[in-house]
Order: sequence, then C-alpha cells, then structure tokens
Amino acid sequence: MSVIMSEAPIKEGYTDGQKYEVFNREFMPHIDSMYNFAFRLTTDEDDANDLVQDTYLKAFRFISSFEQGTNAKAWLFRILKNSFINDYRKKSKEPSKVDYQEVETTYNSEDAADTSHTVDLRADAVQDMIGDEVANALNSLPVDFRTVIILCDIEGFTYEEMAKILDIPIGTVRSRLHRARNLLKEKLRNYAGHMGYDV
Amino acid sequence: MNLSSKTSEAAGEKQDQPMKHHCDNHAECMKMIQAILDGEASDADREHFRQNMDKCMPCIQTYHLEKCIKDSLHNKVERRPCPEKLVSAIKSQLLI
Repeated sequence: MSVIMSEAPIKEGYTDGQKYEVFNREFMPHIDSMYNFAFRLTTDEDDANDLVQDTYLKAFRFISSFEQGTNAKAWLFRILKNSFINDYRKKSKEPSKVDYQEVETTYNSEDAADTSHTVDLRADAVQDMIGDEVANALNSLPVDFRTVIILCDIEGFTYEEMAKILDIPIGTVRSRLHRARNLLKEKLRNYAGHMGYDV
Repeated sequence: MNLSSKTSEAAGEKQDQPMKHHCDNHAECMKMIQAILDGEASDADREHFRQNMDKCMPCIQTYHLEKCIKDSLHNKVERRPCPEKLVSAIKSQLLI
C-alpha cells in the first residue's frame, strides 16, 4: 500500500500555514462562547472541556471544508452540537433525561404551546432576579429547549443560522423557541413564587 | 390586538379606542412579539405592532415580560471564560 504524503485537498485546499492562520484568526476567537455552550449542554465541567477540545480538533481536521470569511461561529457551533449528540448525550448526567419525543407530544397541542392561559409572571419579578436564578431556570429545561434559548438569546444567532446549526427547518426553530420560552416562563414563575414574590 | 385591522381605519379613530384588556389573538400576538424582539419580524409586522400595541394591555405586558426575560438571559447569565488550560491543550495538540 502506498503511503500518502499529504491529503488531497477537498477544494482549493489550504497550505499548512493557511490552516493555522484560519484556525487562529477565525476559530479561536469563539472559544469562550463555545465553552459556555458546551457547559450548558453537558452541565459538567469535565465533559464540557472534552467536548470543546473534540470540537476544535474536528474543526481543524475538516478545516478545508470551511470557507474563509463565512460564518465561523455557526460552523463551529454546528460541529459542537453534532459532537454533543453523538458522543455526550448518551452519558448525560442530567437527573431527568427527558425524551424529546415525549416533550414534543406534551407541548404539541396548540393549547399548551400557545397558552390560552398566559403564565402569571410579572416583568418586575424577573427584573429582580439575579443571574443564578435565571440560569437555574434555563438549566432545568430539557436540553433541546435549552439549546434554542441559548442560541437565540445568549449567543444572538438568527433563526436562519440556528436552522443550519440544528439541521431543522426555520419554522421548527420558531415553534421550538415559542414552546421553550413558555416553559421557561413557567420555571421562572415557580421560582418567583418560592421566593415570595407576589407574581 | 386586532390583527385584521382595516387599512381604511383612520389614525384618528385609533386614538379614541379604549385600552383593551383582553386580546383575541393573543397566541398569534405572542409569536409576533417574540419575532420582533428576535429581530426576525417583517417590516409590515413591526409597523402593524407599533401602531396597535399601545391599545392592548395584554400585548403591552407580554412585550415587557418577553423583553425583560430576553435581556436577563443576555445580560445577567454568567459567561465564563474558557479555562486557559483548555486553550493551551488545544493549541499544543495542534502544534500551534
């Protein structure tokens, strides 16, 4: 068997120097966001470290399929999300491993998703909450709902970028966000109630 | 908020409308409010909302609540920097 000295480039291909340049200039700046996303997905510091490391190594390995100047952050987040699903979700340490299908069914009915009853929560109760309280409410959501809120409200991705990252139609992005936010409001409302707020 | 407001309705008539305390299409309004806050609403939807929102109390409250939650998520939730050890590990593994 002949030894291949260098991998054939997929497109024009980067030189090794170009690979490192693209990696440093376009990928490394997003590492904080990637780390936070990984941590919120895995809820475990060690797993988050491994997930980020795996993702960046994959990103380098497949760097030829990344076009310079395009949306590196979305490209990286997609790799991380896929790695999470393939490698980490199975050994999730989440106490309540919610089957997404089950949640989807529960929240699929128009009534549940559209809240003909609005969640009884006041804006000023939310304003008084500190970061930890909001974070706890967020972390208590099933991972697929947590993900869309993180991508939209924390990382500021557009619906179109989210659709590409998650590999779902834009319509599903909208409806999943809507359901996720309703669920988050309920969690916040419960929290506000426990803290003695008159919501 | 009445999503099917007639375009022939004069602006002056709207001024005289009392504040609504019940929203007939609130589920749809909520979706529009979220799209507006996410920067994903069409110009037509944004304009319609801008013209009608201040006449519908449930919509005003929903807008403020949704905005407050979104701002809290964006501003209050702790963002940790990536551990320096991890950055070093990645760089050394790739010989950067």
